[in-house]
Amino acid sequence: MNARLWPVFLAIAILVLGGCSSRSREVVVYTSVDQVVSEPILRDFEKQSGLTVRGVFDTEETKSTGVLNRLVAEAAHPQADVFWSGDPVRPFVLIKRGLVAPYESPNAARIPPTFRASDGSWTGFAARVRVLLVNKNRVLASATPRSIRDLADPRWKGATAIANPLFGTTTMHVAALFSIWGDEQGRAFLQALKDNQARIASSNGEVKRLVATGEVAFGVADTDDAQEALADHAPIEVVFPDQDGIGTLVMPTTVSLMRGSPHPDAGKRLIDYLLRPEVEQRLAEAAAHVPLRAGVQTPQGVKRAGEFKAMQVDYNQVAEEMERMQPLLKGWVGL
Amino acid sequence: MLAVAGAVLLVAALLPILSLVAELPATARTAIAVLGTARPWELLLRSMALAALVTVASLAAGVPLGLLIARTDLPFRRLLWGLHLFPFFLPPFVLALGWFHVLGRTGLVGTESTSRLLFSGGGAIWVLWLTFTPVCTSLVAIALLGVDAGLEEAARLVASPVRVATRILIPAARPAIVLATLLVFALTISELAVPMFLRVQVFPAAVFARLGGIDYAPGEAFALALPLLPLALLLLAVERRFVGPRVFAVAGLRGMAREPIPLGTWRPLVTLAAWLLVLIATVPLWVLLSRASRGGGLMQVPRWLGQAPSNSLLSGAIAATVIAVLGFVLGHAAARRIRGASSLDALSMLAFITPAPVLGVGLIAVWNRGWTQPVYGTLAILVVGFVARYAVVGLRTVSSVILQSPRALEEAAATTGAGAWRRLARIVLPMSARGVVAGWLFAFLFCVRDLETAVLFYPAGREPLTVRLFTLEANGPPAVVAGLAVAQVALTAAVLALGAAAFAWRRAWR
Repeated sequence: MNARLWPVFLAIAILVLGGCSSRSREVVVYTSVDQVVSEPILRDFEKQSGLTVRGVFDTEETKSTGVLNRLVAEAAHPQADVFWSGDPVRPFVLIKRGLVAPYESPNAARIPPTFRASDGSWTGFAARVRVLLVNKNRVLASATPRSIRDLADPRWKGATAIANPLFGTTTMHVAALFSIWGDEQGRAFLQALKDNQARIASSNGEVKRLVATGEVAFGVADTDDAQEALADHAPIEVVFPDQDGIGTLVMPTTVSLMRGSPHPDAGKRLIDYLLRPEVEQRLAEAAAHVPLRAGVQTPQGVKRAGEFKAMQVDYNQVAEEMERMQPLLKGWVGL
Repeated sequence: MLAVAGAVLLVAALLPILSLVAELPATARTAIAVLGTARPWELLLRSMALAALVTVASLAAGVPLGLLIARTDLPFRRLLWGLHLFPFFLPPFVLALGWFHVLGRTGLVGTESTSRLLFSGGGAIWVLWLTFTPVCTSLVAIALLGVDAGLEEAARLVASPVRVATRILIPAARPAIVLATLLVFALTISELAVPMFLRVQVFPAAVFARLGGIDYAPGEAFALALPLLPLALLLLAVERRFVGPRVFAVAGLRGMAREPIPLGTWRPLVTLAAWLLVLIATVPLWVLLSRASRGGGLMQVPRWLGQAPSNSLLSGAIAATVIAVLGFVLGHAAARRIRGASSLDALSMLAFITPAPVLGVGLIAVWNRGWTQPVYGTLAILVVGFVARYAVVGLRTVSSVILQSPRALEEAAATTGAGAWRRLARIVLPMSARGVVAGWLFAFLFCVRDLETAVLFYPAGREPLTVRLFTLEANGPPAVVAGLAVAQVALTAAVLALGAAAFAWRRAWR
């Protein structure tokens, strides 16, 4: 072996590793939408556009924040062109840091203004909804919980589950409850959950698993988790909570173009594609997402926006609430 | 050459750590506040208790099993060893997933009680014990295979087999036992995926919460990881005291040529117990295969694999090659106590024990720059990450082999005017070739099973198989997820089979 061989070896290694990807016709998307749902859509875009899509997907345990934090960590040299978020509040973290470029897609025109930014910094489409998953073998029909507050009902002590609120849509849900109820009621609810020995699952997927297997009587998760459980023939009932109260939280998925992205034009093409009604319909069929546009067909069992009472929240305010309450949540979780 | 190898290690492992040190002043106040509360210390104690329990349990099973494999007439002991070692080379969360399909409420033998037990500290100890016991078994077996046959045979003339085992063999394997203790402790205390999967709160999860939560705080995460620094140094000191200069053999060096100790009337019972332990550890793998077979999971695997297997193999192979070269140069320097080698050795151990997500954030900070995109945007960043984290694997494997080679040969060559390069290439390399190949293989297997290091910075669209499995795990169809886990098992088995074939071929060729 000769010392002069070192640089040669390293050069070959870099060529082998780097040469494996052609970077001219590609688009890079970071997404917190479940990989099992998002990847087939991205593959179809590849076929239609001729562009190669390179994706970074979140793990369930760090859902929505793992990818988000990577975008923040990479801010100095953005790698991503598009952030396809599983909820409408994470983009605000990026917007506040100046990491998002405005882009008004022509395909966004028919999406209601409530679900998109007027400056094009984010556009919402197919939404998930926070629902209660109830195990029918453990809960009598007459005792079916109807409110998010039932998680803290002593009748269900030790028999309910909620995902870790530091991650995923649970963070947004808790923040939304705080924004509606106020600090005092919100804190009281969290304490009541703890007193009621609600299980803190690692993720919504884990909540689904706990309810489906009957390890808990019911828990709170998202509509796509509910649909997966139903597809597996799990004995669950899906309840839209608080229909006679504050309403059920609706969380559109959103797309944003990243500022300084390596392939902005390709990024815009991907955003245009994702905002097509066909994609919204596909998300309704594949993962029970609620279409936000009128006229999009939904499969049986999937509700449309307007068919249930939605919680009235300002996503920007929820985003601020979410950042503000982090120390409280860390303390509550015990980390 | 040592300078070049040292520079590679410094760039890969030290720069990321330094970049986080630079973040400390900005987050000092928050960091002090965090460390000033009881909770991080409580979690650290809990992690240390978990690590201690797993270590003790692994030693309790691994030391006798290593003795049985290396020095007794246990039937089919080589096959037993191979089967026993195999689960260790799989990502621990794959085994946890398998145990979920066995003991979870809807699992093979699952009830509410087994499920509750699995999703508890006891469950984490169970999974990690079965995963890490092979480390103890193998190190002890390897050490015993290297014990001087004359010493043992002389003792057997006057003493009973039990006395030989307790008075001669186990004391002779003490350095290996200490090394196994340190390795299992280090592997358990840095394990994140299994405790998270089983909902057991541990210290690395607290560090990870600073990186995965909405308020991204890498400086705070690093501050929180600081208590691990004295722990790493303590482990190093213990290792130096009890293992460092001592010699024990590496796989296959001496073989099993000696007359094995007869187990006598205990043979059937001991055989049953040993095989039971080994077969229990493989149960989750068979259950995963069964789960993948139901619901067409195996048929769908090709659709979901993507390029992940080739990403794992390519990045792992290149990283293992770099590690083997580093291991050869640095391992030789460490074994011969050349100046500076000791610090580099300590650095490699520190990088190994530092929580992987912390190292990952440091790597992003160092490598995500305009001019480093050929590295950061490609699989090369995985190679850098793997080299940083697993250099210690190659270094220790090679140095333990070199320690067995007589120094006199190198000194004789030096007196005849052979330079450092020539001595390394013509004397050290031929004598330690098997150790270098073993170091390459171990490093490769560590890279292929890695999840925690890669998950934070894998290049877009170029994820290794472990990451793909992890990102699909919670929401993918269970049969497909089980199928991907089976693919990971098959990939590992193929690598091990190739490694075994390479060693067998070399033996036959000689």
